[in-house]
Amino acid sequence: MVVVNKILYDAVLSAAPIILCVLGGMYAHRANVLNIALEGMMLLGAFFCCLFTILLGNYLLALVLAMVITTTVGLVFSLFGITLRGNVIIVGLAINLFASAITAFLLQVMGRAELVASNHTVSNLRIQIPFIRDIPLLGSALSGHTPLTWFSYVAILLMWVLMYKTRFGVYVRVVGENEEAARAVGIRTGVIKYAAITVGAVSCALAGASLAMDDLGGIFTRDMTAGRGFIAIAAIFCGRGKPGASSLYAIAFGLARSLALNLSIYAGSAARLFNAVPYVIIVLVLLVASVVKNRNSRLRGFQNE
Amino acid sequence: MRRTAGRKGSFRLRTALFNSVVPVLMAFAIGAIIIAAIARNPFATYGQMISKSLFDPEGLMRTLHVAAPLILTGLAIAVTFKANVFNMGVEGQAVLGGFFAGIVGAHAGGMAPAFHVAICLVTGIGCGVLFALVPAVLKAFFKVNEMVVTLMLNYAASEVVIFLSEGVFRDKAAGYVATPMIRESAMFTKMGGTDFTAFFFISLAVFVLILFIMRRGRLGYEIDAMGKNLEFAEATGMKVWKKILIIMILSGALSGLAGAGWMQSERFRYTPGFSGSPGLGWDGMLISLLGAHEPIGVVVAALFYSALKVGMSKIELFTEVPKEIVSVIQGSMILFLSVKYITRSRGLRSLLRRGES
Repeated sequence: MVVVNKILYDAVLSAAPIILCVLGGMYAHRANVLNIALEGMMLLGAFFCCLFTILLGNYLLALVLAMVITTTVGLVFSLFGITLRGNVIIVGLAINLFASAITAFLLQVMGRAELVASNHTVSNLRIQIPFIRDIPLLGSALSGHTPLTWFSYVAILLMWVLMYKTRFGVYVRVVGENEEAARAVGIRTGVIKYAAITVGAVSCALAGASLAMDDLGGIFTRDMTAGRGFIAIAAIFCGRGKPGASSLYAIAFGLARSLALNLSIYAGSAARLFNAVPYVIIVLVLLVASVVKNRNSRLRGFQNE
Repeated sequence: MRRTAGRKGSFRLRTALFNSVVPVLMAFAIGAIIIAAIARNPFATYGQMISKSLFDPEGLMRTLHVAAPLILTGLAIAVTFKANVFNMGVEGQAVLGGFFAGIVGAHAGGMAPAFHVAICLVTGIGCGVLFALVPAVLKAFFKVNEMVVTLMLNYAASEVVIFLSEGVFRDKAAGYVATPMIRESAMFTKMGGTDFTAFFFISLAVFVLILFIMRRGRLGYEIDAMGKNLEFAEATGMKVWKKILIIMILSGALSGLAGAGWMQSERFRYTPGFSGSPGLGWDGMLISLLGAHEPIGVVVAALFYSALKVGMSKIELFTEVPKEIVSVIQGSMILFLSVKYITRSRGLRSLLRRGES
């Protein structure tokens, strides 16, 4: 029973950064830009949030500064991928490499193997909710999380509103579905794409903070995102860029990770195979989606992408 | 609009140089700014780097040694990217190839060294091909985007390989996660007290083969055609799905061979850091971009990049700049290389002017 509680609690916790990443990355996806730099931006978010917390002693300020940095990186991505029309996958890859390298480099310069924000006590941020706490099974999983973890679940609703109930959301979707039509009715597609990528960059900073400051309690280690950005992309693809569905996949992947974490005591290293599940799932989802699409399509042969 | 062959050639050379040299210089400038920011002298650092990797006999041999697998992964990327097929899975294919070459190297034995070496290499090639076939079949028959599939399968492969090396294939005697050391009969012999091995010659031979295929062979022509216009290639009656399979198999074989060779000439056992940081496949991508997806360009870029890597790994001993600066420079280089600054149809200025659309 204790194990089940722990698994559920960890699932909620480890899904949070993936959800944040999904909710932000979704916009670029809907605007038809494949942003694989989510991984790198999340890593930078985690690193700088941790670093600034140590340096300034103010978690909120650190969070804002981390957002500024990832936004800058997002703008670099947009500059090369959209304005200069580079291959976005290669641009994204470059940013991922750069993020991994610069954080490792800075750790080396500081002469540390990891960053530990000892002035950040995550237990002070955890909020116990009076009544929910007492629900059997679910209570212990839902209660006792930090505001950021809560926010990531509330954000599903917020991002749904932004996507479907605002002009910005409509524009993003129009640009993604038919760029030329969007341009014909006077939408500045470049600007919309920049904005969509920026939304992703900001939420990647939050995702990184959630990972480093909540999940690990204020520790940054080298390459700590460990493919979560790609898992988020998998969730976005699986959920077809819809806030609710994509988040559900993110939660499922969080559960897989939590199982891998908690079952390793019993299953040994075989639990590691759970980590490979999201990647295999996305391949299967892409296969099914492609088969369905091509069955209804009369287009012959291969197209340039 | 008709150009003479000579002018065409010089135009190509000029753009190729501009599109490759400028990004490299910009990346080095970024590296220099970062080195200066931690209060070290960038010029002294770069100077040390060049002298240790190119003007020092042992360093030069090491540069050649490190370049061997990079030439192969560079070619693996080049043959696919040139055809507008994007195999981002070179990393995973190389790791799998290296891993299983290492298993065969450690557990099979009792045969002549040359034979054992060859068996391991073939194992690596086989694994690379099998792994490349997954995205290839999905692309050729179901039109699934190979870029995403290969990118994702890299992660799946690395999880599975780490699982295997922690479990069944773990060397119990080692104090860390590793597979057993391969037998001596499966290793390439080091020549003249340096790191240089015969693997470099294998790599060069493969390069000549690929050069021949790309320049003289029908496949090279078809790759070119697919790269220029996939729909047109298909419309003229080329069986594109078949070519995609062939190109991916070729790419997987090259990657697998790179991994196996790296295992047998450098690592000798699998550890989670086998492929290095950022990894043979990602290095290959940089190299291919730098070499404009042309075989000769790839070799030049591989040697250049290998010198950079070797120089930087030694630099840690002589200066206080961490070797991670190489990856920083590499990341920036890929970023700058992702854009074609000049193409045949437009110059630098129009790129910026029309960028907004």
